[in-house]
Amino acid sequence: MDKIGLGVFLAHVLIIVAGGLVTVFARSLVRALTGLIATLFGVAGLYFLMAAPFIGVMQVLIYVGAVSILIFFAIAFTKSSHLGEEARPRKQSQWFFLLSVPGLVIFSLGYLLIKFIPQGFLQPQETQVKDLGGFFLGPYMLPFELISLVLLVAMMGAVILGFEKKIKRED
Amino acid sequence: MIDLSTIPSPLVQIVIGLIGVLAFVGLNGLVCVYLERKVAGHIQRRPGPFEVGPHGILQPLADAVKLVAKQMITPKGADPILYWAAPLISFAPAIACFLPLPFGPKLQNVSINVGLILILAFSSLNVLALCLAGWSSQNKWSLLGAARDIAQSVAYEIPLLLSLLPIILLTGSLNLAEITQTQGPWPWQWLVVKQPLAFIIFFVCVFAETNRAPFDLPEAESELTAGFHTEYSGMGFGLFFLAEYSYMVVGCALASILFLGGYQGPVASGWWWFLLKVYALLLVMMWVRWTYPRVRFDQLLNLAWKWFIPLSLLNILITALVVKL
Repeated sequence: MDKIGLGVFLAHVLIIVAGGLVTVFARSLVRALTGLIATLFGVAGLYFLMAAPFIGVMQVLIYVGAVSILIFFAIAFTKSSHLGEEARPRKQSQWFFLLSVPGLVIFSLGYLLIKFIPQGFLQPQETQVKDLGGFFLGPYMLPFELISLVLLVAMMGAVILGFEKKIKRED
Repeated sequence: MIDLSTIPSPLVQIVIGLIGVLAFVGLNGLVCVYLERKVAGHIQRRPGPFEVGPHGILQPLADAVKLVAKQMITPKGADPILYWAAPLISFAPAIACFLPLPFGPKLQNVSINVGLILILAFSSLNVLALCLAGWSSQNKWSLLGAARDIAQSVAYEIPLLLSLLPIILLTGSLNLAEITQTQGPWPWQWLVVKQPLAFIIFFVCVFAETNRAPFDLPEAESELTAGFHTEYSGMGFGLFFLAEYSYMVVGCALASILFLGGYQGPVASGWWWFLLKVYALLLVMMWVRWTYPRVRFDQLLNLAWKWFIPLSLLNILITALVVKL
């Protein structure tokens, strides 16, 4: 990896980590969401660095452009005051849980990655979108269709939940 | 000191391109402000700006100086960081959207294979900026504007994306330069002839995407004062304005690349044809703004979900069948 690449990579890591910290420590929910968005954006940048621009722009389109806006819709109209339960100082046991879970994940994942790192990932090659489409409808047909089934079930569930509320209100 | 010889040439290319894009965005802002006010004036049978310079041609410069010189006020109780981040979040992605646009045969900043999706992804960030602006202003008009903006994006995003799928099916590419080259210089070789329905749906969705009348629900000045940017003064408002005009140009540029042959024209293909098509579409957008009244909220949702989504799905189905047969 050349020096520019390393610098860009570190800049992305900085954005991701800073965004994550803002997400966890921000007092206001919307600020936390902004941190989360910064993290998602940084991850999209990492995809670009890995020569996967299609996944990168999809990350921006779906997570930054759609999912986070829906989260915003859910939290912007709740009264998230600065004096709520979330804003109180945390107990020591909470700090322990807060740090232990991510710590465990980071160390186990990092250990596995360093131990079993696959070779030849340092000069990534761009995969054409056409090939990606071919994979989806060829060898990965079943998982692809299963995902669409899951999404369909989720959508139907949302519609049914919405209808139930309407019926209750009429009673 | 930076040694220029160690920087690889693509980087220099991107930097020069970015400077060019910034200059273009600024100039375009001036031209659009003047055009908008003149078009509005003439449609309403009045001369429009007339005092500053011949036919008021220096009016946008005076406006710009006023905006830059104005004091920037943060409202009491507003979230100061998010409040001032919002105009930047609105403006910065607009610049990124210009990078993959092929202005001419050799006038493209970044030849990226997924240019089309890149533009769609970055232009959807504007919704986020408007939400943050509306929420952090601590003003009920602003918050209502933000809520409307989200619901509007739920309405138009799906038909916008669906209307472009037939184009991808026909051209087999997401690279805007390649899509341009699959069309010929003459109007009957342009994709609008094969896909008139997709063109109409896409162009209407661009109106909604750029928050232009008849879909200017988030700002709706007769209902919500100025909607999401009620509280902004000076360049905070100026950046939102500049971003709106930039997104309009990006939308019109996409329409002319995908459906109207891009930079190709019957005689002497080049960037002039591209700019001609883009500004013709921009004039249509202004014309529509001063002709049609604002739609109501449910009307927009009905239009998008009951008409555009089924129609564009049908269009995809028919196009796929025709391509396969």
